[in-house]
Amino acid sequence: MRDLKHLTYFEKLLQEANNALVKQAKEDGKICVAYTCENVPEPLLNLGDCVSIRLTAPNTGSIDIATYYMTNLLCEPSRALLERAIEGGFNFADCVITPDGCTMMNRAVENMELLQTMGKGNPRFFHEYMEIAFKNTENDVDLAVLQCTNHILKPLRENYGVDVSDEAIRKSVAAHNRLCRVIRAIGEFRREAKPRITGYEFHVLCLASYVCPKYLILDRLEETLEELKTREPDEKPWRARVLLVGSEVDDSGLIKLIEEQGAFVCCDRFCFGSYPGRTEIALKDGEDALRQVCRHYIQNCQCPRMMNQEKVYGRKAYVAELAKEYHADGIIYEQVKFCDPWAYERTLGSAMLANDYGYPVLSVDRPYNIASSSGQMRTRVQAFVESIEIKTIQRGGKA
Amino acid sequence: MKNFLLSLAVKLLLVVLGFFAVTFTVYFFNLDMKATALLAPWLEKWYDRLERKQYI
Amino acid sequence: MKTVEKVVNPFERAGERSPGRIYDEKLKVRARREWRGVKDTFYDYTRWLYLMSVLGRFILVPRNVKGFFRYRWMMSYLFVPHGMDKFTIGLRDEALRIAHTSFNFVIADVTQAIANCFRGDRRVGNDTAYSDKCVITDENSMVTFMMGFDTKKVHTILREVPTMFASNIFHQFNVMHYLDIAQQYGIPGDVCPMPEAEAGISIEDDFCVLGCCAVQNNTTCDGSLMGNGIIAKRLEREYGIPTFQLATPLRHKEPDVLDYAAQEIKNAIAFVEEHTGERWSWDTYFAAAKRVNDATRCRIAQMEINSTPYPQFFGAAFSLYNDTNYMGNSGRNADFVKIDHKLLKLAEEGYKAKRMYAKEYRHRAIVWGVQPQYVIDMLYWMVQCWGVVPLTDMLSVINTDMIAEEDTPENREQAYRDMAMLNMEMIMRNHTHGGYKVLLDELWDLCEKMNADVVMMWEHMSCKALTGMHGMFEEQGRERGIHIMWVSHDLCDPRVFTRQAIRDQVNNYMRTVMREEPLDPSLENIPDNEAY
Repeated sequence: MRDLKHLTYFEKLLQEANNALVKQAKEDGKICVAYTCENVPEPLLNLGDCVSIRLTAPNTGSIDIATYYMTNLLCEPSRALLERAIEGGFNFADCVITPDGCTMMNRAVENMELLQTMGKGNPRFFHEYMEIAFKNTENDVDLAVLQCTNHILKPLRENYGVDVSDEAIRKSVAAHNRLCRVIRAIGEFRREAKPRITGYEFHVLCLASYVCPKYLILDRLEETLEELKTREPDEKPWRARVLLVGSEVDDSGLIKLIEEQGAFVCCDRFCFGSYPGRTEIALKDGEDALRQVCRHYIQNCQCPRMMNQEKVYGRKAYVAELAKEYHADGIIYEQVKFCDPWAYERTLGSAMLANDYGYPVLSVDRPYNIASSSGQMRTRVQAFVESIEIKTIQRGGKA
Repeated sequence: MKNFLLSLAVKLLLVVLGFFAVTFTVYFFNLDMKATALLAPWLEKWYDRLERKQYI
Repeated sequence: MKTVEKVVNPFERAGERSPGRIYDEKLKVRARREWRGVKDTFYDYTRWLYLMSVLGRFILVPRNVKGFFRYRWMMSYLFVPHGMDKFTIGLRDEALRIAHTSFNFVIADVTQAIANCFRGDRRVGNDTAYSDKCVITDENSMVTFMMGFDTKKVHTILREVPTMFASNIFHQFNVMHYLDIAQQYGIPGDVCPMPEAEAGISIEDDFCVLGCCAVQNNTTCDGSLMGNGIIAKRLEREYGIPTFQLATPLRHKEPDVLDYAAQEIKNAIAFVEEHTGERWSWDTYFAAAKRVNDATRCRIAQMEINSTPYPQFFGAAFSLYNDTNYMGNSGRNADFVKIDHKLLKLAEEGYKAKRMYAKEYRHRAIVWGVQPQYVIDMLYWMVQCWGVVPLTDMLSVINTDMIAEEDTPENREQAYRDMAMLNMEMIMRNHTHGGYKVLLDELWDLCEKMNADVVMMWEHMSCKALTGMHGMFEEQGRERGIHIMWVSHDLCDPRVFTRQAIRDQVNNYMRTVMREEPLDPSLENIPDNEAY
């Protein structure tokens, strides 16, 4: 296929947390709200002059200092973020809002706070920690509303004078929905038998939508969508179509590696992916926008730490539904090493998707930066692709 | 009657002393746990042989 | 660095001077029991007889024999006397009596819990009428939501306590089998082995199956929360036992989570009422609340004694007794009150008489982090081998606030908040969760209050909440002149750190950093790595 016009541009943006657009937003006088978990309602971090920037640590190499603070037993993303913070890579942040979601990420941010890695020279800088809902009941919605009020809206208003009114929230949701629509529309092309976008390309665009100020990338994303409408897909067929499920994938190299083995990543269901992360928020009149946003996040949340059985089984049904919609031949459950929530979710999910839903499943753990251990992953994916092909042949199909 | 009571008391004392001698020997030389340690490998084999419905 | 005044024992220890000599590598148990002088040996012997009678009475019930041969974890309970010997190593006088009083009570409680499990178990006793009134809860579960149910009508079964938690204390290798099963099914080896083993037991179908419903919670950690999903699947889908997930907020020091937590407690109570058909009684609740407060007062008094130069009730017995009383009991069983007061009386007598656990105390330590199940006697070893006296452990530093105990309309609403507070501030998670202040700042406060110069840091390598603050402990300890003595372990998997490997971390610190020689060299190396 012909290269996407803006792909290199987006790829460059993913090379560092403090990328060109973050710098531009700072120059524009924006307030950079850093965050680390998908469970924080993104539109609330983009109110008024705020821009949400998800913290990542691209091209992570040594994480020795963070390992001293957190030992080598904590997940690599949490250590990579702390290392990057200590190096000064997140100095653009005007505040950090962290949910007590997964313990390790919470500890990473607490270390950042104790080491005073950010906010030097900014008296208005703050750290906030939030309690996050565990279930999808109205009690959990009440909790989320209170937490968002106390730990997002109130500190943003008090420290930066941000307008946190219902009207401002609705405006932010509208902008958020515009972005979601574009990302989802781009992702829709992955359903095609001959997809006109690769999983890698999609991941680059989707990840950029989390780590860059949205108002600075929307135009290019919409242009890319237009470009895709007339893009000619490759004739060469993929050997298999796989759905990727699991921990956050901050390194597009992982998707590239999978696709290099002939497995098209037809859909993404991982932290900070497009499912469910880029689902539009439907707001109705007559109820607080804040409450509706909170309910949306709770009802759509696919985080493994949601603990009621409706959510536990619902997560597997959601994956099966996506696999069906995107015509996946198999599912890859991945977990970044030492991630406890996904360690269990991967185990139960891979068993249920194979046994209850009949999908071939590859269950793997992986490093944060795939370049540090690409050989093992390559071998696992190759074997998985071959096993899918063999199953197809055994069913009388053509590999 | 007096002789009977005396003999009963002596018998009781002997039983108590006998019980004490045996149990204290078992206690002090840890014979209870030594016997259990000998039994344990057999039990492990027993549990290994049991069929279980193992799945996730 | 901070130093503390050395305290020398005014009394000679009766009997055996070097208890390290009674271990035998070939036997996997001790060569003989400890000679403690006539009086204390006889006392220990009578307590051994009592334990044998508890075990004997248990095994005389036919269904318990059936259960014994059905469940692998039951094998651990053959080694209860061996476990008791671990708790009493080198102890004399009041200390010996405190250890026996507290731990024998815990053993009797666990034995009853097993008997209850077997009674209702569909595979063993199959007493359906009984089972229909049983509510299963997790091992790491505060049972505050059961405080208002009559214990004669509704039975709370902490199913994982006898199956995993307690069984691992008596037999260090018994959990390995379940860990292997869990890992065979894909759970990685780097998660906390406790919930992993529990998931392994469920996969292996080695839990008793009973109860009309189950209440799970997220009280300890991400691993515990996630392992419950696996267990609930089998409970609900195979055995048809409905499960309720009691969500407990993590940031328990923040006032804005309390309403949520209280509502969750209400929901859990409603769930239990629905499935057991029994009603919540405020009379029962407030009676239990009084006992909770009484236990709290006793625990505070014990901690005050431990702040003096002559601490009395500490180590594994203190920790496990508190676990059982605070968490598994939560004021429901009146028998605990008598034991609480008996223990306090013994401690007061010991304090007045200036009784000590070793011939001298060189250092005063706060024990932080989570203790390994398979070296549960470590703190007694540490004080006797090196004279480092453990003043308290993290698991015993729990709630000190009184809860409402008078039945008034306002207090009924307050009661939900009290239950929620206790639930949130459950053992361990009250420090491992809730932000760094409860983990770091409270430790330094405790060092100050109890005049400690050492923090013995259990570094449970799979406990991410603790290891995630490793560097901060180092730095802040250094700033305060407190020795941080790291002791790594893997909670209940002895393959990673053996018992001696764990003790060697203390040995090395004491020799190389403190430049000291052991008080009792016979204890420095003990051949018990292969022992049960």
